[in-house]
Amino acid sequence: MKDLKKLTDEQIVKIVRTKDKEVYLEIVLRYQEKLLRYALYLVQDKAKAADAVQESFIKAFINLNSFNTKMKFSSWIYRIVHNQVMNVVSKYKKELPLFENVDLDSGKNPEIDLTKKEIRERVNKCIGQIPIKYSEPLSLFYLEEKSYGEISDILRLPIGTVGTRINRAKVFMKKICQKIK
Amino acid sequence: MSKNKIDITENVMSKIRTEKIKMKPKWYFWLGSLVIFMTITGLTIISIFLISLITFSLKSHGPMGAVRYEQILSSFPWWAFVVVFIGITTGIILLRKYDFSYKKNFSFIILVFIIAVLLGGILVDVSGLDTLWMKRGLMKGFYQQYGDSHQQKWNNKNKDNGWRRGNFQ
Repeated sequence: MKDLKKLTDEQIVKIVRTKDKEVYLEIVLRYQEKLLRYALYLVQDKAKAADAVQESFIKAFINLNSFNTKMKFSSWIYRIVHNQVMNVVSKYKKELPLFENVDLDSGKNPEIDLTKKEIRERVNKCIGQIPIKYSEPLSLFYLEEKSYGEISDILRLPIGTVGTRINRAKVFMKKICQKIK
Repeated sequence: MSKNKIDITENVMSKIRTEKIKMKPKWYFWLGSLVIFMTITGLTIISIFLISLITFSLKSHGPMGAVRYEQILSSFPWWAFVVVFIGITTGIILLRKYDFSYKKNFSFIILVFIIAVLLGGILVDVSGLDTLWMKRGLMKGFYQQYGDSHQQKWNNKNKDNGWRRGNFQ
């Protein structure tokens, strides 16, 4: 088990596929906390987030042979969780926060006012108040510390759109989250 | 959080150990990719062929716009639209089913597909391949049907209608 810690995700996937299914435990241990946190930001409900993550691990295992080991495993598993969470969101649409009609034109660049640390603190506090469309790339960037490229892979959006959504999410935070302070 | 952690690990691993969940074999995904590839290729060929057929039909039925339009409508293979619709729907379902992670923009794929088909059809028309196909090759019969026989059918139909009208008056 000690040796497994040194291996990359992709190397572990190769072992699970060809030699030992039990090694999948290492994948679950590596990712469950991160994925739970990510799912929780989006669904705002521990039980639903846990269900989504568990279902994602099962789906990932079933479809492990479709994973291309030349690609990044973390983007693949986050993508599966994203799909799973979106199913939950559409199922419980009325219960989840949606502020689609909020005016985003602040006339200011939020980058000037907020540092990355401040943003991270604010995101933690009020991410549930921001529409998922914007909160998801925001949480991936500031809380999961994913690059624009990885977010683009996970959400299947062009990198430019990822940047736009993150900037809009910051404006949302300024508008909505100030009330929570 | 820690309770969830234990539950998820145990639930997932126990399902794997008891073989309640099994990994889909590699050939399953290979087969899926093959079917998708064949569907897209088939659709592209059918669509290029249809566009070339329309332009060929336009060329072969002379300059009268309205008459040509009616002729095309009456002789157009409408079943092909059903085939194309079923094909595209199946293709998207298969892509969604088999693809788990890699970035695929479906609207972009469809847009590229339509542009490729239009360009392909126009290319067949400009290069004169349709005229060649009418004279020889596998499509000879089909193109001739749309080039000559439909003109004849159309003439017979008009003659027939004229006779009926004449009889009525």
